[in-house]
Amino acid sequence: MATTLMPGQKRFTPSAILADLTLLAWFVFSLFPIVWLVLLALKTDAEQTTTYFSFSPTLDNFGTVLSDRGEELTSVDFPTALLTSVLNCAGAVLVSLVVGIPAAYAAGRWRFRGSNDLMFTILSFRFAPELMVIVPLFVIYNQIGLFDTTVGMIWVLQLVTMPLVVWILRSYFQDLPEDLEHAALLDGYTRRRAFVMVALPLVRPGIAAATLLAFIFAWNNYIFPLVLSESEASTVTVAITKFLGGGGQAYYNLTAAAAVIAALPPLVLALTIQRYLVRGLSFGAVKS
Amino acid sequence: MATLDITGLSKRYGSTVGIDAVDLDIDDGEFFVLLGPSGAGKTTTLKSIAGLIEVDAGSVTIGGRDMSGVEPYERNVAMAFESYALYPQKSVLDNLASPLRSGRTGRYDDAEQRRRVDAVTGTLGISHLLDRLPKELSNGQRQRVALGRVLVRPADVYLLDEPLSHLDAKLRSAMRAELKQLGAVSQTTSVYVTHDYQEALALGDRVGVLRDGRIVQVGAPEQVWNAPADTFVAKAFGQPEITLLDAVVDDGRIHGADGAVDVAVPPGLAVTSGQRVRLGLRPRDVAVAGAGAPPDAAAVAGPDADPVAGPGAGRSAPGELRMRGRVGLVERLGRLVEVSVDVGGSTPVIVVTSAERAAGEGEPVELSVPNHQVHVFQAGASGEETPRIGSLAGATDEEDRA
Amino acid sequence: MTHTLPDNSPPIESRSADPEGPRTRATKPVPQWRRGARPYLLALPALLLTVGILYPFGVGAFYSVLNYGAANPTPDFVGLDNFSSILGDQQFWTSVRVTMMFALLATGVETVLGVGIALLLNRASLVGRIFEKVLIMPLMIAPVIAGVIWSLMYNSQFGVLNYVLGLGNSVDWLSADNALWSVILVDIWIFTPFVAILVLAGLRSLPKEPFEASDVDGAGWWFRLRTLQLPMLWPYILVAVIFRFMDNLKIFDHVYVLTAGGPGLATRTLQIGAYEDSIINLDYSRGSAYMFVLWVIVFITARFLVSALGKAQRRAAGSEG
Repeated sequence: MATTLMPGQKRFTPSAILADLTLLAWFVFSLFPIVWLVLLALKTDAEQTTTYFSFSPTLDNFGTVLSDRGEELTSVDFPTALLTSVLNCAGAVLVSLVVGIPAAYAAGRWRFRGSNDLMFTILSFRFAPELMVIVPLFVIYNQIGLFDTTVGMIWVLQLVTMPLVVWILRSYFQDLPEDLEHAALLDGYTRRRAFVMVALPLVRPGIAAATLLAFIFAWNNYIFPLVLSESEASTVTVAITKFLGGGGQAYYNLTAAAAVIAALPPLVLALTIQRYLVRGLSFGAVKS
Repeated sequence: MATLDITGLSKRYGSTVGIDAVDLDIDDGEFFVLLGPSGAGKTTTLKSIAGLIEVDAGSVTIGGRDMSGVEPYERNVAMAFESYALYPQKSVLDNLASPLRSGRTGRYDDAEQRRRVDAVTGTLGISHLLDRLPKELSNGQRQRVALGRVLVRPADVYLLDEPLSHLDAKLRSAMRAELKQLGAVSQTTSVYVTHDYQEALALGDRVGVLRDGRIVQVGAPEQVWNAPADTFVAKAFGQPEITLLDAVVDDGRIHGADGAVDVAVPPGLAVTSGQRVRLGLRPRDVAVAGAGAPPDAAAVAGPDADPVAGPGAGRSAPGELRMRGRVGLVERLGRLVEVSVDVGGSTPVIVVTSAERAAGEGEPVELSVPNHQVHVFQAGASGEETPRIGSLAGATDEEDRA
Repeated sequence: MTHTLPDNSPPIESRSADPEGPRTRATKPVPQWRRGARPYLLALPALLLTVGILYPFGVGAFYSVLNYGAANPTPDFVGLDNFSSILGDQQFWTSVRVTMMFALLATGVETVLGVGIALLLNRASLVGRIFEKVLIMPLMIAPVIAGVIWSLMYNSQFGVLNYVLGLGNSVDWLSADNALWSVILVDIWIFTPFVAILVLAGLRSLPKEPFEASDVDGAGWWFRLRTLQLPMLWPYILVAVIFRFMDNLKIFDHVYVLTAGGPGLATRTLQIGAYEDSIINLDYSRGSAYMFVLWVIVFITARFLVSALGKAQRRAAGSEG
């Protein structure tokens, strides 16, 4: 790339320093809130609103929000919310994979009548205003008993996870040379075995990226559990906001500790699929 | 036992034609070569035989059984893909053993699998690569693994899609010589696709020429060489390409190339007076005779006593066509040289001759071609392919060569 | 690789040596309709699921022509009354204005900043290489959690922002005047990295030759950016813009956590308005009508942006070819 430093080019030109300073400014802005959140999570109750940067750090807050004591203090059952989030997201991703992989394969391999309509309808779920579905589902779920249940949440989370899985995997299947499956067919394998033996292992990076990204976005989702759950199927995202909303004494340090815990899984998962992240986030539109 | 009959096979991709009404009858054990430029429909034909693509019309019959609607894995057909199609995550050994493990090509215990793989890898010279992954191989090695995956198993038909195209020139000619002698290939009906006419002539029991999805000609190598069905086939065989000279039939004679050509219409050649034709001369069929002779000295050069020879016309002996011309470009190909000779008219005659016999640039030469090697085609617009009428040897030619 | 085949290479047995003997297997033709049905069978579960999701969509559209709500469980058909009521409602138009302001400003700033950061990171300086690893952190944190973080930081009593900027208690970041700007800032904080990593991927996939040529020509960086890089980057930028603009039109999570739409109507976006009407006030029909209007806006925008993307992709392909 032309803007890359060429051998022999001076490293510390004024413009290079200016560019680095600009980047530095962005990253101070970008990372400061996160650093500050972690600092807040390490403060004692007494220090939470009184000091900014000098304090005696403690890990107690993490223990507190993960134990019953957290609920006693804040009336937020964070451990249960964590478990619910894990169940909801794992379930939603699993359903999306089981349903989405064959569909992505069909759409990636054949141009069948209606395939584009189906693909774009699924994509439109990603961009549709959530409440358009949630309002009727709020009524329907209350009628048929799916309100505040894991099954109900898994169903509605398909709006988040399905488009990701189907679109990312379709782009991976499209990249896979058809000759490989053809060779397997002529080796004497049925279409199903050719798919399992040849196609599936080769799109594993795609499946991993789609799975983890779908999990991340399901985990980070807020509006579905906000409307369609009360306490039973309430997730970490809803629980976090309740730390602030409750009456009585505010425990900002506990809020921060819970936020750190809730933010950790997506961050860790995102780092493991960093190579495939761009392709995943753009639904396969941008390949890196 | 396993003949291969293809009838009216057609496949369109949107508005472009893949193949159009292809008919082929291939005998049991025959080695059949499909020749054509890229996009002619060669691979489409192979994949249709294998059942890998849905054809729009027509049928494939293998060993007397209609294969319409039969799944590829039920057809007992093996194919070497031009893209190799090696399983990237599997070792060479596992790639080669893959067809033996599916259970549909026969039943093989581990020892028998190993024996077959060893036999194939020994023959193809890839025994030392068994543990490698495809990405660790050169293109030539990959191609041989792909070929091995076909040969390792019995099949009713072998389909070979440009299996030598990625080998270097030396290995390629060695493999070409040996391929047909391989036990498996010599006993199994094979369809071999190539764009290399030398491969087609060297390997094929018969050759089929494809153009724009249609079969133009099918015949033994000598047939398509000696009596190409049209100018397309004539141009497809031979490098450099055949020279086509415009000519016209007039008063029982054929005139062309601004008078350089002037011969009598041979008996049995179906042309009428006033008809425009094209004369095809293969560069290697043209002999440089009387090199260095000045054009006006040619009057005494030939025994032909033709009184109406034009200013540039040589005297054609009874058995051959003679032309005078002047050497244009000379290009050395090694031991041989490619000479472009200006004989009058817009098209120079290309000649390939030995370096010793070549004249220098600008020198006058006399060219001669045996009559049976002067192909007569119907005339057509530039770029239009036209059918062959016969040769200057007339009726005797077709009888001799048939 | 000069191996040639030995003259007497061991013959590889063909079918005649098959341990099973020549096989005459009964072949089972698969009828045409079954072969044609194959992709549909594979897509069937997804199709059913799609229909299952479209059903509530349809129900929602139906609600918008009823007077359905918790207070009126036996609704009547009211035609377009909900829509005319909404369109005559000052609150609704405020929501439209807030949503548009939010979407245009947030998307615009995120795009400009994101492209700038991508260009700076593409220089591959030491600073850039270190920061690239952590670039996506705000993007991966749930927007709700980002909302929580920033609401603590914005706090005018003890918030760290006023302290760091040396503003004392003087600035109320979430006042009626400031709230919209503050929530836009949070959106920028979260989503600028999204634009940046897409554009960065685009930058790295660009062909190198034109830029080397322009180096030789001694072209300035601005000239190079405007005439070479930006036209080729347009498809990537547009993908990012599509995602950001469409998401910002239905913005909810962090705005709701920060301000719940307030103070007053200052940050009441369309989806927050619909949430208030349908879930808090339990007027399902009015909320659905809100959403229907938003859906139409999203749909038209999507059509426009996607066709622009198609054009940009064709143009970029042309300029690269």
